[in-house]
Amino acid sequence: MSTLTADPTATTRAATSPSTAEVNSTLAGIMRGEWIKLLSLRSTWWALTSTAALMTLASLAYAMSLDTMAEDPVTAPGIEQMHGAEIVASGFPFGMLIIAVMGALSITGEYSTGMIRSTFAAVPTRLPVFAAKALTLVVLAAAVALVSVILSYLVTMAQLSQYDLVPALADPGTWRVLGGSVYCLTAAALFSLGLGTLLRSTAATVTVALTVLLLLPGILSFVTLDWVQTIVSYLPLPASSTLLTTGTTDVPGANLSTYTSLVVVAAYAVVPIVTAAVALRRRDA
Amino acid sequence: MIEAHELTKRYGGKTAVDSISFTIAPGSVTGFLGPNGAGKSTTIRMIMGLDRPTSGSVTVNGKPYGHHRSPLGEVGALLDAQAVHPGRSARSHLRTMAATHNIKASRVSEVIEMTGLAGVASKRVGGFSLGMGQRLGIAAALLGDPRTLILDEPVNGLDPEGVQWVRQLVRGLAAEGRTVFLSSHLMSEMAQTADQLLVIGRGRIIAAGPVQQVIDSVSGGAVRVRSPHAGELAAALAADGVTVTLPESGTLEVSGTTAEHVGDVAFTRGLALHELSPRSATLEEAYMSLTQDAVDYRSHTTTARSRTEKGQNQ
Ligand SMILES: Nc1ncnc2c1ncn2[C@@H]1O[C@H](COP(=O)(O)OP(=O)(O)O)[C@@H](O)[C@H]1O
Ligand SMILES: [Mg+2]
Repeated sequence: MSTLTADPTATTRAATSPSTAEVNSTLAGIMRGEWIKLLSLRSTWWALTSTAALMTLASLAYAMSLDTMAEDPVTAPGIEQMHGAEIVASGFPFGMLIIAVMGALSITGEYSTGMIRSTFAAVPTRLPVFAAKALTLVVLAAAVALVSVILSYLVTMAQLSQYDLVPALADPGTWRVLGGSVYCLTAAALFSLGLGTLLRSTAATVTVALTVLLLLPGILSFVTLDWVQTIVSYLPLPASSTLLTTGTTDVPGANLSTYTSLVVVAAYAVVPIVTAAVALRRRDA
Repeated sequence: MIEAHELTKRYGGKTAVDSISFTIAPGSVTGFLGPNGAGKSTTIRMIMGLDRPTSGSVTVNGKPYGHHRSPLGEVGALLDAQAVHPGRSARSHLRTMAATHNIKASRVSEVIEMTGLAGVASKRVGGFSLGMGQRLGIAAALLGDPRTLILDEPVNGLDPEGVQWVRQLVRGLAAEGRTVFLSSHLMSEMAQTADQLLVIGRGRIIAAGPVQQVIDSVSGGAVRVRSPHAGELAAALAADGVTVTLPESGTLEVSGTTAEHVGDVAFTRGLALHELSPRSATLEEAYMSLTQDAVDYRSHTTTARSRTEKGQNQ
């Protein structure tokens, strides 16, 4: 600390040196700032590696369990009905869990530490930096989902080939399931980002996000009222499940059409983000 | 140049800033002085567009802060609470801010050098001391080489050398024609740093102007007298409606009159004087007298308070 300028003129000369004074706020710069923000935190790297690891391991475990299914005369016939892509994408809930937490932290981490004030001091109009944050998160979530799916495909290939279940790239069903995974995981990231912007607290956001995304369908499956089951079918997990299968799924409430599911999943991303953007402009930082 | 017009902020029922108007001129250091809870940080957050005024307005260099095309080039601010993610290194923090304005990496290194953070720039901010955190905040404020600097309690947590450094830094920046606005609850700090004062208490401006003028406006000047006939002199003065105290035997503190009057009275009575010295109020006294009705969180005794202030200043 003692290397400080004893000579004040040295300090001020450095402060005004014209070579340094190129200051120009642009959207590209704001995007770059958000990239640096995400990638300079260890938690991001933890989230990315654990998403890939958990999704891949889960799909591998599911693929390995085909052996036990094949031995059991009750379940053995079911194997033929399966689509290999469903097995490749079976780590989806783990991905949803971690990606949702990552999305939440990308904003609640700023509110809880006060970083948000530095962010808004640099971009006082706020919306550009929020858009940049959403965009970097989309790219990162989609990229890690894609990498996870590819890794899952590769590690399960040997096992699936024994049952003639390796998903064919020429099969539209393969693209539906694998693309659906990436689509729904990206939406989960945006859902948490929007929610986190509104709630600001990490604990509150993670609790609400995981309840809505993962827990609620299971909890409500015991309530057999018709209108409750209708609501359940519109919850994120059942709505995603219809996109992650080529036939039917055993997820409770998964009965929406493909098109409706696509719209419902998109709404889970868009509605919180738009609400958050409106609130963000008005509220005190 | 910072201009506030009837700026008001209420949080629920609590009025933090109460219709204040002021102008902070470029080329000098303006001290924003007030006890804790007076509304300094709230005012600064409103200047920076972080908190929305309940009513009134504030502009920086002619526009609301958020309307500037390159905000960090207009205003650099050190905010009151740390505004940094503890999981990032100092350099990464500065890079995230620099990126938004396309500020070069060389400028990031430069402000790291200037603030003495070179040795710890790659360490995570979570492990920083309060003083290092303040230096990082100042580095962030300097990043865009701004025309206006706003520093909220910059010397908090700094060692004496750091305090000295901040003083020289802000004096130098003001000498270059920049606007420097500096908040503090420590008047001793302001006496040595500021040209102008804006004194705030309970959300209202209670004095403003050049430092000496603010002191004079409250003056409350006293006369110190030493005399072998102190008792007699006190009685004579008290008869004229003058306030006299005897801090120690043989010494009088006389307020409410002039040294000339005291001398005349002593001469008329034939009382010898060993000392007769007028004392103008110090900044400290002026501040006390200005803010005594405006302290939100007053400690139990005045002496305890001034001791705390000295402690924090070290
Ligand atoms: N976000 C907030 N919500 C509620 N009250 C606040 C908030 N910020 C500040 N206050 C209150 O406003 C008053 C002024 O606070 P502040 O501006 O921090 O004072 P200073 O910086 O002069 O110490 C205090 O009474 C404080 O409790
Ligand atoms: Mg404060």
